[in-house]
Amino acid sequence: MTEKTDREIIFEVLNGNRDIFCFLVRKYERPIFNYIFRMVRSKPDAEDLAQDTFVKAFSALNKYDDSYEFSTWIYRIALNVCRDYFRKKKIFFFSLSAPIGDEEESELEDFIPQDSFHNPDDVLLNQELRSSLEKAISDLPIKFREVIILRHLEGLSYDEISTVTGLPVGTVKTYLHRARKKLQDELGEFLE
Amino acid sequence: MDRKEEKLICYLEQLPQTTVPSDFSFRVMDRIGAKQQRGYWLGNFKKLAIVSLSLVFLTLVFFTDLPLFPQFNISGLSGYRRVELKFFALSENPKTVAVAGDFSDWNTLQMEKKDDNSWVITLKVKPGKYQYSFVIDGEEWIPDPDSYRRIEDGFGGINSVLVVNGG
Repeated sequence: MTEKTDREIIFEVLNGNRDIFCFLVRKYERPIFNYIFRMVRSKPDAEDLAQDTFVKAFSALNKYDDSYEFSTWIYRIALNVCRDYFRKKKIFFFSLSAPIGDEEESELEDFIPQDSFHNPDDVLLNQELRSSLEKAISDLPIKFREVIILRHLEGLSYDEISTVTGLPVGTVKTYLHRARKKLQDELGEFLE
Repeated sequence: MDRKEEKLICYLEQLPQTTVPSDFSFRVMDRIGAKQQRGYWLGNFKKLAIVSLSLVFLTLVFFTDLPLFPQFNISGLSGYRRVELKFFALSENPKTVAVAGDFSDWNTLQMEKKDDNSWVITLKVKPGKYQYSFVIDGEEWIPDPDSYRRIEDGFGGINSVLVVNGG
């Protein structure tokens, strides 16, 4: 049996087959969950917000404009869910001096390494680099964090980021440039 | 793009992914199911509430004299209404029956005896609410036995209430 496309699944959901929406959830749960976790830095909150994202997507499915990819649309919902979260918490950026809490350290252990480390020194370096990089990302202002995660961690194109964030492509590029500059400043020693 | 930036991008793209709880999709589907269920009951409740309120409203319109619609009295002279009050004497046989109320400054107005042991009077009043009582044989003050709209008169007695609609 050939795999159904997103549009075919959506068509079926809108025609009453609610359960098939589960395929879309399974397909996009990982990127959406990761995006949200990178944004909010709390696993329980990320889980709630990721659920909210899919529930909202389901409720708004009849308004889905299929001239956009579903993947772009669901990222846009996730981005708005995160913005609401920050608005409610009145968080506009994380303090540079804020220490990483125990919770965050333990959550970092849940990450599945994509690369393997052979030399113990490399492991130490990479863990340290990873922690510093994670912290530097979470210290970015939200608007910069959004674009850097979407571009370099989620692999979206400039056009897709523009659609998701509602920013002109030029602004996306500017934000990315400034975000990378800030990260370079933070990670100076690791980039030598 | 300089070497530092290239290295940074390389590091960013190598950041590991986090694991998603294995039952994540089930929990999402549970929430969707619960939300739809809630929506279903809420929808039914709304329909039921609308039907019930409509029935109550129609009952009030057809079976009561309550002023449910806004009334506009354009002319003070043409604003009088003719209202017929009737008193039936069932057990006793009074010699005279009168009515007194706000519309007569509580002066008694004699009612006309009809053949069927009833007394009738036609009043000319403006729209509004009026308290009144029947006066039997010039002594006994009683509220209208045929009206359920009653109010305490402040002196230990009961008056009936006459509602005269405008329009």
